Amino acid sequence: MKELRAKVLENVPVAAGVNRLTFLLPEAVEGLRCGRFVNLSVGDGAHLLRRPIAICEYSENTVTVCYQIKGAGTRLLAQRRAGDMLSCVLPLGNGFVLRENEQRVALIGGGVGVFPMLSVLHAYKGSGRQFYSYIGFRNKAAVCAEEAFKALSACCAIVTDDGSYGAFIASERFGGLRVSADAERSLPADRKDEGGQAFRRMNAVAAFFEDAERAKPDVILACGPLPMLRVLKAGLAERGLRVPCYVSLEERMGCGIGACLVCVCDTEGGEHARVCKDGPVFSIGEVKL
Amino acid sequence: MADLRVSLCGVSLKNPVIAASGTFGFGQEFDALYDIGVLGGISTKGLTLEPRLGNPTPRIAEGYGVILNAVGLQNPGVEVFLRDDLPFLRKKNIAILANVAGRTIDDYAAICARLDGEVDLIELNISCPNVKCGGMAFGVRPESVKEVTRAAKAALCRTPLIVKLSPNVESIAANAAAAQEGGADCVSLINTLTGMVVDIERRRPLLANNTGGVSGAGIRPIAVRMVFEACNAVTIPVIGMGGITCAEDALEFIIAGAAAVQVGTANFTDTLAMPRIVEGLHSWMDRHGVKNLQEIRGTLRLNG
Repeated sequence: MKELRAKVLENVPVAAGVNRLTFLLPEAVEGLRCGRFVNLSVGDGAHLLRRPIAICEYSENTVTVCYQIKGAGTRLLAQRRAGDMLSCVLPLGNGFVLRENEQRVALIGGGVGVFPMLSVLHAYKGSGRQFYSYIGFRNKAAVCAEEAFKALSACCAIVTDDGSYGAFIASERFGGLRVSADAERSLPADRKDEGGQAFRRMNAVAAFFEDAERAKPDVILACGPLPMLRVLKAGLAERGLRVPCYVSLEERMGCGIGACLVCVCDTEGGEHARVCKDGPVFSIGEVKL
Repeated sequence: MADLRVSLCGVSLKNPVIAASGTFGFGQEFDALYDIGVLGGISTKGLTLEPRLGNPTPRIAEGYGVILNAVGLQNPGVEVFLRDDLPFLRKKNIAILANVAGRTIDDYAAICARLDGEVDLIELNISCPNVKCGGMAFGVRPESVKEVTRAAKAALCRTPLIVKLSPNVESIAANAAAAQEGGADCVSLINTLTGMVVDIERRRPLLANNTGGVSGAGIRPIAVRMVFEACNAVTIPVIGMGGITCAEDALEFIIAGAAAVQVGTANFTDTLAMPRIVEGLHSWMDRHGVKNLQEIRGTLRLNG
């Protein structure tokens, strides 16, 4: 964990209201991992809190994050141009770790929660694992990272809340994996666009449960809005699906390193856990959602 | 290099920069970023006799140049602190200020008795705006400031007592004087100012607790004024805090009369703020030919 001044390499829109920011690290940083996060200063002197943002992709000397432009802080962040300097504290949090026996992996992401899922795909690329991705967005304009999910997943469902876009896509490119004929299929239609293409209103969790029997995951990883994670937790319990499931949580943070006790969540044991330090990744059974 | 040492109620600090309570935990997390042994001291997260869970989330919000927090004294309880955190802090060779709170006067006396002789200084938190019982209730009126200070002091034989004052009062000078009359060895101020931020889309306060304590650079002029007033009202040392982000900010408080300073919110904005302030004090004093802090402390001359 370090506080560093990094140079912005790129800060560009990737979907409606979502930017992708890549920065160059001035020195090597240990412990970069999927599901961990960085705490970025918006740097105007008036906004004193850093913005915690999940790592999406990283190399030896670069880190890429994707963030939603939502309030004053992220609007300032969006104004940063290539060449600007950015203060960041990284890497923070625990992150996702896949065990050796977890070969079939379901990834469920909603909204900007798709990016921690994408970080898992990038980190475990070439590991031979089969990833089944279920990613949901509000509407077609919000859809992003589609190509990356398609390229790195054995099967990928892209769905939208309003049905303005959606598809189940099997990838033949993934490690030579053979996909059964019925894997690549259209979603049942409850809406058609002007060209007669059928789409269906759906969220990422519903897409996962529709596909769970075929995907048979050894482990489920998820990130998205709290209501989405609640539906996932309830759905797993209802169906008696006893698959290990890990969720990445979001909370407003102070220090981001575990000292200030601002970003707590309730545990099932009646205690508090720090999202920034004990999380952001928790076993779904461990936390109250 | 200038001499930054200060003596606070007989406790010597290698420099006047102390981590403010609540922003720094018990030091272990920040020690992963830099050696916290470079600091003058640390005021711990507010401790109570029993563990407390604190308030619901969100516990933090932002205003222009300020933040608001409403953590509500979440802490593991004094026994866990003594067992798990104190041995680590002892190794760091910095002044340890145990910040303590309670629901009743007896709670304050009991936690002071438990910590007497275990830490270097005790900082009585009678000014937390985020809990219903204890905290600020004792910190508003001079009579109750004096009463809770007297009870805490009576429970202490070995450890000097600091009383942390609330700015949400009629007269900071009167409350500082009341703390001294109650037997305080030192006062620290200011705690946070009570504030509110509204989410206009939901038409609700952003903080789950509705109100929270305002801190950060934006409150510094208020804090400097109050520290100056407190310094004029008491003969015991005053620790100044409120919006300090750099050495120059710290010097405002010292020139106004503070014997030492605490740094809180700046630790969030800049995790290395405190070591930078220590370095900045050295270079400012060297540039100005000031050999030690006593030369400039309380040297403020008013206009007219």
